[in-house]
Amino acid sequence: MTSRERVLAAIAHKEPDRVPVDMGATPSSGISAIAYSNLVKYLGRDDLPVQIYDVVQQLAQPDMSIIDRFGIDVLDIGRTFNTQPSDWHETVLANGDKAFYPVWFNPVLQPNGSYHCYDTDGKRLLAMMPKGATFFDQSYFPYVDGYPENYNGLDEEMGRVLWSRYVHSPWDHAADPGFWEQLRKNTLHLRETTDKALMIVCGCNLFEWGTFLRRMDNFLMDLLCEPDQVARVLDQLLERHLATLEKVCEAVGDIVDIIRFGDDLGMTTGPFMDPDTYKMLFKPRHKQLCDYVKSHSQMHTFIHSCGSISSLMPDLIDAGIEIFNPVQTNAVNMEPEFLKKEFGQDCTFWGGGVETVGTLNNGTPEQVREQVLQRLEIMSAGGGFIFNTVHNILPDVPPANIVAMFEAVKEFNGK
Amino acid sequence: MNDLIDKLGECVEFGKINQASPYPPTMKGMPGADELTKEALEAGFSPQMILNEALIPAMNRVGNKFTEGKIFVPQMLLSAKAMNSAMKHLKPYFQNGEIRRKGVFIIGTVQGDLHDIGKNLTGMMVEGAGWEVIDLGTDVSAEKYIQALDEHPGAVCGMSALLTTTMSNMQPMIAAIREKHPGTKVIVGGAPLNAEFARQIGADAYGRDPQDDINWLDSIVA
Repeated sequence: MTSRERVLAAIAHKEPDRVPVDMGATPSSGISAIAYSNLVKYLGRDDLPVQIYDVVQQLAQPDMSIIDRFGIDVLDIGRTFNTQPSDWHETVLANGDKAFYPVWFNPVLQPNGSYHCYDTDGKRLLAMMPKGATFFDQSYFPYVDGYPENYNGLDEEMGRVLWSRYVHSPWDHAADPGFWEQLRKNTLHLRETTDKALMIVCGCNLFEWGTFLRRMDNFLMDLLCEPDQVARVLDQLLERHLATLEKVCEAVGDIVDIIRFGDDLGMTTGPFMDPDTYKMLFKPRHKQLCDYVKSHSQMHTFIHSCGSISSLMPDLIDAGIEIFNPVQTNAVNMEPEFLKKEFGQDCTFWGGGVETVGTLNNGTPEQVREQVLQRLEIMSAGGGFIFNTVHNILPDVPPANIVAMFEAVKEFNGK
Repeated sequence: MNDLIDKLGECVEFGKINQASPYPPTMKGMPGADELTKEALEAGFSPQMILNEALIPAMNRVGNKFTEGKIFVPQMLLSAKAMNSAMKHLKPYFQNGEIRRKGVFIIGTVQGDLHDIGKNLTGMMVEGAGWEVIDLGTDVSAEKYIQALDEHPGAVCGMSALLTTTMSNMQPMIAAIREKHPGTKVIVGGAPLNAEFARQIGADAYGRDPQDDINWLDSIVA
C-alpha cells in the first residue's frame, strides 16, 4: 500500500497493511520548534533549518527527510508555500537555538523579555508571548464590550485576531494575486511527486471564533443569555467559511484527501457547553460545512477539538464529521477503550497514540514504547485510526522519547 | 428559612444576576441577586447571614453540580456573576469588619502562562465560598506572591497553569515563596496537572475543579 492508500483505507475502516502515522500534517498533530530543534540535533541533522510555520503555537514544519525517516504518511499542502530561504528570517528560540520565522512575522522584544505583536498602527497590542513562554496568546478581543449593530467591520476585526493575522501557510499567502491558482498548482505538483495522503488545514471554527471575538468567558455566557446574538454572529462566520470552502473545493477538492476543521469544544472535565446547546447553535452549522465539502469534493472531514467531547460526538458524527483529533485520552470519558468501543465503527481517531502530558514528556523511552504499543492494540483494530500523539509535541518532550515512539509504531506494524 | 433568603439563594444557584438579566428564561422579569440582596439588607437581615445562609450554600450547590457534570461552565459563570452582584452590596461590611470571612486566598496563573479562564472561575467560586480572594492575574512571579503574602500573612496560595511547559515553573515558585513565608499552604490546578504532580512539587493539594479547591480550603480552616 502507498501512504495515501493506507490513510484512506484506515478512514474507510479497512485494516491497512500497517497503521498510518502523522506528525506535522496539522497544527494540532505537529511538533513545537524547540522539540523539533532538539530532535534534529539528536538525529545528527542540525543542518536542517527549524522553520516555524505556525508562529502562534511556535510549531516547526518537519523536513521531508524527517517525514520519510519516521514513515509519516500524510502531508499538509501548506508546506508547498514559503519554500525559499528568502521567505524566512532568523530568530532565537527560548532555549537559545537558532530558528526561522516567515518574513512577515516580526514580534517586538520588550525590556522584560516578552514579545509583543502590534497592529499596523503600532499601538494596539494584538498578541504577546511572555518571557520563557513558547506560545503567543491573544491580547485583542474585538467585541469584548458587546456585539456590534452590524457586521460591516467583521472582516477587518477578524484580521486583528492573532489566529487570522499570523496564520500559518498556505493562508499567509491568501491575499496574494493568483493565490488559488498557485494553491492548485502546488497541490498538483505535490500529488505527482509524493504518494502520501494530502491534508488542507482550513479552520472554519465557529465556537472558537465566538470566543476570539467576544473572549471566552463572555461568549460562554452569551450561549445562555444572548442565543440570538450568538446565532447572528455564527451566521456571519458561516457565510465567510462557506465562501472559503467554495474556493477550496474548487481549487483542490479533487486532489486533497482530508480537510481539517477546528473547534475546541471541550475541557478536561467535560464539554464547554451542554449537548443541547451544541445541538441548537453549532450542530446545524457544522452540518452545513460538512455537507458542502461532501457535495463539492472528495475530501474527508476532520475536526480538531480538545478536551472531553464524547458526549458531543454522536452529534458531531451526525453532522458529518468523519475524523476526530487529538483524541484527548487523559480527559474525562475519553478513555481509549471506551472511545473505540462506542464510536470506533462510526469515525476515525487521529491521535490519542501517546499522552503528551505525562508519558511522552516525563516518561522513559521504555514507558513510551509500552504506552504506544498498548494504544495501537486498542485503537487500530479494524482501521479507523491514524497514529499521532495527543496534540502537538511540546518543547518538554525529549528527542529520545520521540524516537522511541516511532520505533514502537514500527515494532507494532512489523508484527 | 426565610423566603427572601431562599429566593436569593435560588438566584445565585441558577445565575439570575439582576432583574434585566434574560437568564434563566423561567425567571424573566423577576428580581435577581442584585435586587434581592439590597432588599434583604433593607429588611434587616445581617450581612453575615446573607453570606452564610444564602450565597455560600448556593455557590456550594453550583460547585457540586458542576463536579457532577449536571451544569457546565456557562451556568457556573452566570452563578458567579450573580454572586458578584450580591457581594457588591456586602462590600462595605467586609471593609468595616462586620462580616468575617474564612481566610485570604491569593490566586494567579504562573509565570510564563497567560491562560486565566480556569483561574478566574476558581477565584470567583472561592470568593463565593466565603473567602477573600486576591487575584494577582496572569504570568505571576514568585515575588508577586511574596509581596501579597507580606500584606496578608497566613494567606493560602493558589497557582494555575495550562501548559506542560509552564507547570514546571510551579516547583521553584513554591520553594521561593516558602523561603520567605515558611509553611505557606499552596494548592495547584490546571488542565495538565494531577494529584501526583502536585505532591511531587511540594504543593499541599491539587484542585481538579473549583469545588475541589473549596472543599480543601474549607478543610484546612475547619
